Amino acid sequence: MTINVNSNGLILRNPSKVMRLDRMGSSFQTRLSFMRTLIRRMSTYKWRFERLRSDINSEGYGVSVYAAHTPERTYSLVAFTQSIPNDMRTDRVIAEVWDATFSLYDGVPSTEDIEYLSKNTPKQEAGRFRPSELVLARANKSVRLFEHIASSLSNGEQPDIDLLASVGYLMRTTAVYGSGKFGCADRAKLHDREECKVSFHIELLAVYLIRWFTIDLVETIAQKRGGKKAVKLEHNISKFIGVGNSTGLGMAPFLLKHPVLIHNWVSAKETSLGRIRSIKRPADYSTEIFFQSLKQASQHIKEWNVEDKEQALRIERLRVEVDKLEDWCVNNDILKNIYPWDSIYKFVEDNFSNECQELIVSLLLEPHGELIDDLADTMFATDGPVFDSKMQLKELTNILNEHYSWATKIDFSSAESQHHFWYYSEDKLEPRFGSIETDDGVEQEMPLAIAREISELHNKLETFSKTMCTGEFAMRYPQFRHIIRRAQNTAVRPYAEVQDNLLSKSMRPLDLLRFKLAFFGASKFDPKSDLWTRISMYQGAPLPKNLNDIDHDDWAFPIKPIKEMR
Amino acid sequence: MNREFIRISLNEILFYFTRAGFGVNAPIGLSEDFARSNVWLAENGFDPSSCSYFALDCLDNSKSSLIAKFSDSNTIVCGNKKYLSAFQASVVAADWVSTNSKDGLNIINVDSPFLVLAQLGAILAENWQIEWSDDEGDEYLVKLNKNEKWEIVSNSVSQIEHSKGANISIRKSIHTDIDNDVTINKFDTKCGRKNILQTGVEVKDRWGLVYEYFSRCLVKSNTRSRESGAGAGLVDND
Repeated sequence: MTINVNSNGLILRNPSKVMRLDRMGSSFQTRLSFMRTLIRRMSTYKWRFERLRSDINSEGYGVSVYAAHTPERTYSLVAFTQSIPNDMRTDRVIAEVWDATFSLYDGVPSTEDIEYLSKNTPKQEAGRFRPSELVLARANKSVRLFEHIASSLSNGEQPDIDLLASVGYLMRTTAVYGSGKFGCADRAKLHDREECKVSFHIELLAVYLIRWFTIDLVETIAQKRGGKKAVKLEHNISKFIGVGNSTGLGMAPFLLKHPVLIHNWVSAKETSLGRIRSIKRPADYSTEIFFQSLKQASQHIKEWNVEDKEQALRIERLRVEVDKLEDWCVNNDILKNIYPWDSIYKFVEDNFSNECQELIVSLLLEPHGELIDDLADTMFATDGPVFDSKMQLKELTNILNEHYSWATKIDFSSAESQHHFWYYSEDKLEPRFGSIETDDGVEQEMPLAIAREISELHNKLETFSKTMCTGEFAMRYPQFRHIIRRAQNTAVRPYAEVQDNLLSKSMRPLDLLRFKLAFFGASKFDPKSDLWTRISMYQGAPLPKNLNDIDHDDWAFPIKPIKEMR
Repeated sequence: MNREFIRISLNEILFYFTRAGFGVNAPIGLSEDFARSNVWLAENGFDPSSCSYFALDCLDNSKSSLIAKFSDSNTIVCGNKKYLSAFQASVVAADWVSTNSKDGLNIINVDSPFLVLAQLGAILAENWQIEWSDDEGDEYLVKLNKNEKWEIVSNSVSQIEHSKGANISIRKSIHTDIDNDVTINKFDTKCGRKNILQTGVEVKDRWGLVYEYFSRCLVKSNTRSRESGAGAGLVDND
């Protein structure tokens, strides 16, 4: 079964289709992604941006402060830059030094605050933070691109566009921590603030300011080096500079530990798709935007080049499929028929890869802001699953049968199905993915073996009276309390669960990373192994001075800029 | 990390206390609820490490047990001759209360009764009262009122969070005549939460012990896991 009908009569894709790793690992950003919704908020509410301080030397080292003024309050990015040895520049959590470190401060920091942060922010996890700090982050330079741009600008030249496109950013973040990490403010502190109610908006505000900081930094260095000869980046070039990110295993446990949140994210996206597929006659402007977006996406994926062989093959196939789709739409005059969006989705679903299907979902959402943007406000959660002690085991069994058949079918007696385990390393609590055959630490496995726990619960329940309450059952078998609570939640939030065995030999954590990063709004996924990936964030997004431009929301699929003619 | 007299966030309490429970072999489901209880304690101005180290220690040293059973229809006892761990007693109490039972519940010989109260607070139980007398002979009555307000009624000079080994009675609140010689301490969790989000939670000397239990969930690093466990390389100068 591939369809599901929600309470509003919309046809939604079934969780058994959507929440599979191979599809999750083919996700693209959409107009509901958090970077997109944050940029729209900045523009709608006319946020002001201001560089409050820039005490840096000719090499770019020192302290800077950049502020975002919302209508209600100010947030300030405090940035520290330093020289580091090349052999200590690493994307890993276990790094000890970084080119740049950041704290997002709640308000405008005083001199004493900056002094405090100067002693803690550069230490990152080894520092200690306060509820006045909302986000902690760090970034390393793309050494080749940063130096190329600084050098070009200082000589009065614009950078090489192909080199710029091959990297996409001046610096890449290697961690962005929020939600109470290392003493920073708890997310609950921000719950009543509209501007950061949606998931990760506060962290992504920090990233947006980091992007602005990197562009400002390279221009400042060029100015100090070149004097009057130096130039600034042309507008369309600076807009094309995003901020990179290197993401590893830390994101994967997050997805599994926040099932309510994940359901809310996916439900918003799937409801959007359902609403669009139910449109009988589309408005002219929406078909126009769709075709524009399709052409732009086509160019974008032509410029999306990666070294990873598997991803490169997927991109190559995607390029062909997008061209075929465009031909099919034109040849069949598809947008003049009734329910054209549904027809397009079905055609792609029947004929093309998951990559293409998920790209088309993104493209279908693009022209329909008026219809779906309200759903962005549902993409957060304040509470986790609640244990229902009154539920009878009969009902619990029904939930397992209805929502977890994917898990109960797995044979956990095979070595293949329990090949991996997840753990925290004593090295700065770095999350790692171990193999039972070769790695120590299975006794300290993180509780992420959802399918296995479900399978064990399912087997146990077979021997019990179905009228017993789960409360009494869990008192006798407290080892099942965790998974019962989770299953009870899934019964009302069907998109909460990743419907695959996360311990199997073939499991690729990369799929989980891409799924989450797409919700953030990332693009240009560039896998470096099955366990980590690089991405671009905010590439093509307006810089602060351009937030009120008419095209401020048109950056879903950024393409290479063309140098201005002189 | 300096483990003493630091301020931590509520999210850190969730993170460290869940895994501290895991460190003393409590099932993850109980450990999650234990951590939520500790968040509630922190919101009310208590040092969660001071409140919880005894329950962790008892479980770790097998002075307490997770085995609970009904001795009659509304009395829970430990299944062996030990304290009943607050990890288990607190969720049993919360489950009982959330069924909206009109009957009271007795739980016998709980290692850390204050954690049972904290669990009921964490699930926003209203109009319930919890009474206990402990190994030291101290007696406490705690009333969970509406809107996250609650009060401790006791003539004990001991700190309630250090109360050990108690027979607990949980029932719907009733009017109780208060003796003149008792002290009433009133709390407002909503206000406390608002304050703590601005200040963080100060944890004192017992924090180190909680951290020790937490650190048991960490896996020792070796050359192989360091190089391959996270997938990425060790130097990135591109």
